[in-house]
Amino acid sequence: MKIVVIGAGQVGSTVVEALHDEHDITVVDLDEQRLSALAERYEAGVLVGNGASRRTLEEAGVRNAGLLIACTSRDEINIIAAIFSKKIAPTTKTVVRTTNEEYLEIWHERELDFDLIVSSERETALAVSGLIGVPAARQTDVFANGQVQIVEFDVDGGQRVIGVPLREAEIPADSKVASIIRGDSIVVPRGDEKIELGDRIIVIGSPEAAQAWSTIIAPAGRRVEDVVIYGAGRTGLATARVLTEQDIRVRIVEPDLERAGRAAEELPDARVFQASGMDVEFIERENINKAQAAVFAMRDDAKNHYAATLVKLHGVPYTIAIVHDAHSVEVFERVGIDRAVNPRMITAEEIVRFAHDPRTQQVAMLEGDRFEILDITVRPESKLLGTPFRDLPQTGALIGAIVRNGEAVFPHGDDVLLPGDRVIVFTESKRVPIVEQAL
Amino acid sequence: MRTRLGVDLAATFNLVGGLVKYLSLAPLAPAAVAVGYRESPAPFLLATAIGFFCGWTMERLSYGKTKVGVREGFLVVSITWLFAATIGALPYWLTTETQFASPIDSYFEGMSGFTTTGATIVTDIEELPHGLAMWRQLTQWLGGMGIIVLALAVLPRLRVGGRQLLETELPGPEIEEMTLRIRETAQRLWLLYVALTVLMVAVLSVIAWTGLDATMSFYEAVAHALTTLPTGGFSTRARSIEAFGAASQWAIAFFMVVAGVNFALMYRAFFRRQPRVFVRDEEFRLYLTLLGIGSAVLVVELWSEGVLRGEAAIRHSVVNTVSSMTTTGYASADFNEWPLLAAIVLVALMFVGGSAGSTSGSVKVVRHLLLGRILRRELDQAVHPEVVARIHLNTRPVDERIVRAVSSFVLLYVGVFAVGTLLLIIDAARVDSGLRLLDAVSAAATTLGNVGPAFGFAGPMGSFEPFSDFSKIVLIVLMWIGRLEIIPVAVLLTRSYWRV
Repeated sequence: MKIVVIGAGQVGSTVVEALHDEHDITVVDLDEQRLSALAERYEAGVLVGNGASRRTLEEAGVRNAGLLIACTSRDEINIIAAIFSKKIAPTTKTVVRTTNEEYLEIWHERELDFDLIVSSERETALAVSGLIGVPAARQTDVFANGQVQIVEFDVDGGQRVIGVPLREAEIPADSKVASIIRGDSIVVPRGDEKIELGDRIIVIGSPEAAQAWSTIIAPAGRRVEDVVIYGAGRTGLATARVLTEQDIRVRIVEPDLERAGRAAEELPDARVFQASGMDVEFIERENINKAQAAVFAMRDDAKNHYAATLVKLHGVPYTIAIVHDAHSVEVFERVGIDRAVNPRMITAEEIVRFAHDPRTQQVAMLEGDRFEILDITVRPESKLLGTPFRDLPQTGALIGAIVRNGEAVFPHGDDVLLPGDRVIVFTESKRVPIVEQAL
Repeated sequence: MRTRLGVDLAATFNLVGGLVKYLSLAPLAPAAVAVGYRESPAPFLLATAIGFFCGWTMERLSYGKTKVGVREGFLVVSITWLFAATIGALPYWLTTETQFASPIDSYFEGMSGFTTTGATIVTDIEELPHGLAMWRQLTQWLGGMGIIVLALAVLPRLRVGGRQLLETELPGPEIEEMTLRIRETAQRLWLLYVALTVLMVAVLSVIAWTGLDATMSFYEAVAHALTTLPTGGFSTRARSIEAFGAASQWAIAFFMVVAGVNFALMYRAFFRRQPRVFVRDEEFRLYLTLLGIGSAVLVVELWSEGVLRGEAAIRHSVVNTVSSMTTTGYASADFNEWPLLAAIVLVALMFVGGSAGSTSGSVKVVRHLLLGRILRRELDQAVHPEVVARIHLNTRPVDERIVRAVSSFVLLYVGVFAVGTLLLIIDAARVDSGLRLLDAVSAAATTLGNVGPAFGFAGPMGSFEPFSDFSKIVLIVLMWIGRLEIIPVAVLLTRSYWRV
């Protein structure tokens, strides 16, 4: 497939990196140096020009392309590029990256005719809030605008569920155990199977259910209600917004007065400090160290690294860093920062997955690439339509949730799939093609 | 040596002249009333003639100078209101009525009328002829929504450049950006104002015709609707609205509350069918809460002191609380005779005022709301020096310029009030008029807040007539700058205003 990518920044290069092997890619950017660096590393065509120009788009070959990915850092350019692309070639799919959540809302109301809109800030914020909401989680992913959450736990406690057959265990409502990983083997969790100490489990359910699981497994890890965010950039603000919406007390530390002012303006419920946050006197005086969790969303990985280590040293139990360099993840986790989240990876992953099968809205991977979680729309001709869940074939895949008219439904034995449903499916990676075919 | 002037005086007087010319047509209405009651319409016709001639002359002398800028706006508004008071005063001064002995008395009454204060120098109101009595009511009605707002709605020449004029005259801080065309805004405000006035006339007339209140009549309904919606407070009765029955008093109280609500908010609620704007508006909620608290304190005080009981205690508490806070100035009882705590509550309420964008005077609820938040932020930042916070109103951030403007307005307001009080006390000592401290404080507060009655001889059933001429001038100035919310007049006193 021919793919036109507008923007050769970090998201653009990650997308190119992932797709250049299988697809014929042309990258458009105004910055010649960036393009030549990209062309050196990957096999991709490059074109210097403005992505929001009709002529440039024509020249880049949008007419024959299967997909246009507009992922510059500027919303307007991306949107104009996608609009022109739809005019030039209505069949070319369009993916738009945005930093403005308003566009996301408009797209959800189907007022913007694009095939996918991805907001890296929003995705990152949801990922961070997922980690904060479920502190016992090793990894978590959210689907359907945060209505469905997939969580991976290491079971090192939790009397209520350990050693009890699953069908008898008191499992939180609206949740399912998707998989039990015991050592190297995978146990398919049927009703008579038991969770044991030392297992690693994967759970699909509502965010509330995920939190309930967290309290069962780590009873000491109570709900986080007080979070400090370092950095009031777009990611920091988006994270703060998601957290305040969940009634979590948020404090923001931002050294730049103008940004701090904007944060105070946009988030009436958050408390904003204009400070570097790097001096111990401030941390202790303002009780930054008494927070239950801290998120580091500054631009500079090294600064995040230092601040996270400092704050951890002074008593914040749970630290999450937002990193910008892929290699930083290891560095952060090595020194004891609890979680590292890479927004560009998250964004690029989502775009790449869309390129893979346009029906699939979102894919997440667990345990490296052993499992995939698909968010996929059921075809009207699927043979599984109308079959009660208890009679569905047991193929090692599990439908964890249905998104029907924008609302998440957690299915029971007598529920059936309807045309137009979106399903969140958990499956082993090697079975993905089978699942996609069946749906 | 002549310093160069940064203000275009010719253009200023050209516009003021035009406004005066049209405003001078207003006395024709009471002239008709006078004719209807077989009284002489001469003072009104003469007032119209003099006013029209003055306005026309000003316009002629500055012919062609029509370009009024932002800076001239302050001067236009300030001067126009002085002229308006003059037009208000002319019929009093020209009558044979002996109660308006001096020109200062007439001017006081004219200023009190147009600024919707409601303080009066008349000692026996019921002796006034109908035409003159109706003129008092009408001046308040014209001044309530603002004479410049009216001009903007009606006169085509103000189609451009009117925004500054409107913002200067409309009460309250300019938090909400006006998105509509200026003429449209002015027309909507006046439309709603007229509609509410008609509604109130209808309600009071129904009360009169159904026999619910024998003391009410169509004439009184019109007279009191004309002074309730502008939160004016002039009455045709010597005993203010004590003269009416309970039903009329409750109805008047209701319309006083309405008049103290932001008109733009009411427009959206009624004409756009969005009643939820009331629930969401923080100023509206605080406005009702303060009215409730004020009434409750008075009920408890009056009841426990044995002054009043039962429905009367509730009614008089509510009516006088509403009247003081919305800066109307009616009285349903002589609160001069109430205990001190009740008096203090009523004076304190004079500093609250109604909502921004209403016809009420004084500080306005929204400024108190914002000031509270500003102080809370200051205290917060004293403890946590790194905290950056924005003041929010209705979940929207308030511009820091407006935050500063609110603080300085309140400071100026208190300052002007203090100076006014001081001048009244010094003058009272000079002429030995027996003015008590509470009387001086309440007289300054009542005129600056455009409320009306004070305590002592200038109480709700009394008159400002005993004040000396100097004190009357002080009170006139207080009414004038109170109506214009100080700033437009205050800037005229700065050097930078006049410099190029």
